[in-house]
Amino acid sequence: MLRYIDWIWHIRGEVALPAEQSGEEAFDLLAPLFRQTGTSYDRYQDTLTFRKKDAAAQDKMSVFDSGVLRVENSVLRYDLISRALLYCFLAPLLFLGFAQAIITINDFQKPAAHGPAHTAGPPAKAKPKPKPAAKEAVSPMNPIDKALGAPAPDKPDGDDGDEEGPKSKKPSPTPAYVFAGIFVALYLIGRVLEDRLVRSLFRKAVAGT
Amino acid sequence: MNGVLVGKRIIGAEAPVTIGWENIPRVEGGPIKQFIFTWFQPTMLFAMLAFWFYAPNSIAKASTAIYIGIGFKVLLLALEWVNPRFASWRLTWKELATDLFYVGLGYTLIRIMNSFIGSGVMIKAIQHAMHWDKATWFTGLPLLVQAFLISFIFDFGQYWMHRGMHNWYPLWLPHSVHHYITQLNINKGAVGNPVELFLIGLGVGGFFDFLPRAALMAGAFGLAIGTYQHINVRFNSPRWWRFLFNTTEHHSLHHSQDFEATRSNYAGSYIFIDRMFGTCVDGEAELLGLEGGRRMSIREQMTYPFTEGWKTMKEKYGRSAPAPMTEPAE
Repeated sequence: MLRYIDWIWHIRGEVALPAEQSGEEAFDLLAPLFRQTGTSYDRYQDTLTFRKKDAAAQDKMSVFDSGVLRVENSVLRYDLISRALLYCFLAPLLFLGFAQAIITINDFQKPAAHGPAHTAGPPAKAKPKPKPAAKEAVSPMNPIDKALGAPAPDKPDGDDGDEEGPKSKKPSPTPAYVFAGIFVALYLIGRVLEDRLVRSLFRKAVAGT
Repeated sequence: MNGVLVGKRIIGAEAPVTIGWENIPRVEGGPIKQFIFTWFQPTMLFAMLAFWFYAPNSIAKASTAIYIGIGFKVLLLALEWVNPRFASWRLTWKELATDLFYVGLGYTLIRIMNSFIGSGVMIKAIQHAMHWDKATWFTGLPLLVQAFLISFIFDFGQYWMHRGMHNWYPLWLPHSVHHYITQLNINKGAVGNPVELFLIGLGVGGFFDFLPRAALMAGAFGLAIGTYQHINVRFNSPRWWRFLFNTTEHHSLHHSQDFEATRSNYAGSYIFIDRMFGTCVDGEAELLGLEGGRRMSIREQMTYPFTEGWKTMKEKYGRSAPAPMTEPAE
């Protein structure tokens, strides 16, 4: 089963070695890529395995946590594992979860008339909150602002927007949906980009450029 | 490394830093590039203030501010590409994805936390209990004064919260995570343990009543000044700008690998608050982070304050022989 979905966090590919280049020589050229902070690697015959922990941000392979590189018939084949790609793939689910949580919390709070502190118990009696007289009037405007031509403020609607209403400060699920979308896009970009980048990195390394 | 004497402190004895404006590199390139990267910051600030001052009421609302904020950050991301401060701070896919994860948390999880226990809720409770009204005289002041006062009061509170975080271990624990970033990019301000992100967002602005337009202008101050704390762009900020406002230079020192340098430049927007209290150091650093620049994974960033706090408690009160206490990190 995993075999069919592990492309999500595995990046596999192959790079043809230049003519006459042995596996040993290819790994000699690739070795500097693995001499990085937090990276350990092991070479045995035609296989190189590596592991990374807390890779530096500018490490060219920082997106990978481990991987295997193998030379067979003058071709370098690699299989790299990236938890960053996996988590990025799953991130939309997390944000959809947040959206659901926000909706649930907002629904749960609906019966309470006065803010989030009162979530349990019978609905509070609709006691109209006495509003200061000043609130009802249009807020004053400083003469300097008037002279400079700033638009006059509207008559305030509602009580600061703190209560339920068009200006409600209750969290909205919309940003969570937007971020779920952003992470879908980020995943697609990352999956294609990192695949290309690492292929070109290996190609340049074995070519000695 | 000898470091440089700044006031009574030696800055840069542990890791390389550059002290003094005269030693900081200038923008390289032709006269047009020089002009753009000298006047970009003031132009944007004045343009935003003018926009919010004159925008009709139908436009002057929070949703417009959100779109402007997003648009401005996208523009700054493009500037990071055009004129990076350091090649070693280049944005990679992984860095961008990590940063955006935290921005996403800010818009979702932190908002949920704020709606329950944020400063708005607490202030409302205090006002209710004490039968206080909001300070309504505030709305009679000129808009620009209201806006500046809102952002200044918030920044003043943030200065002390931030300074407290660097001086009191229980507050340092959640904040330390933010200091594991090893480069500055546009969204790095959002990176940190959610507990800290919640704490740093606390403010006392809710005690005042102000015109909605003033709040939007206060937001413009934050956006057009505070955003430059974390950015990989080199600007020739005008002298008056860097005297009054926090800059990437100041904040890079605050994030440097040098312990003493990190104990400076605590303000978010107004560096003159640091100047008032003697914590300002003018300079910049390229090598950032803690533990010699170890990049912390998101998983560790989420748990570190708790695991580290537990470890310290065990060392202090545990039955086993006390291990040597590590220096409270900075």
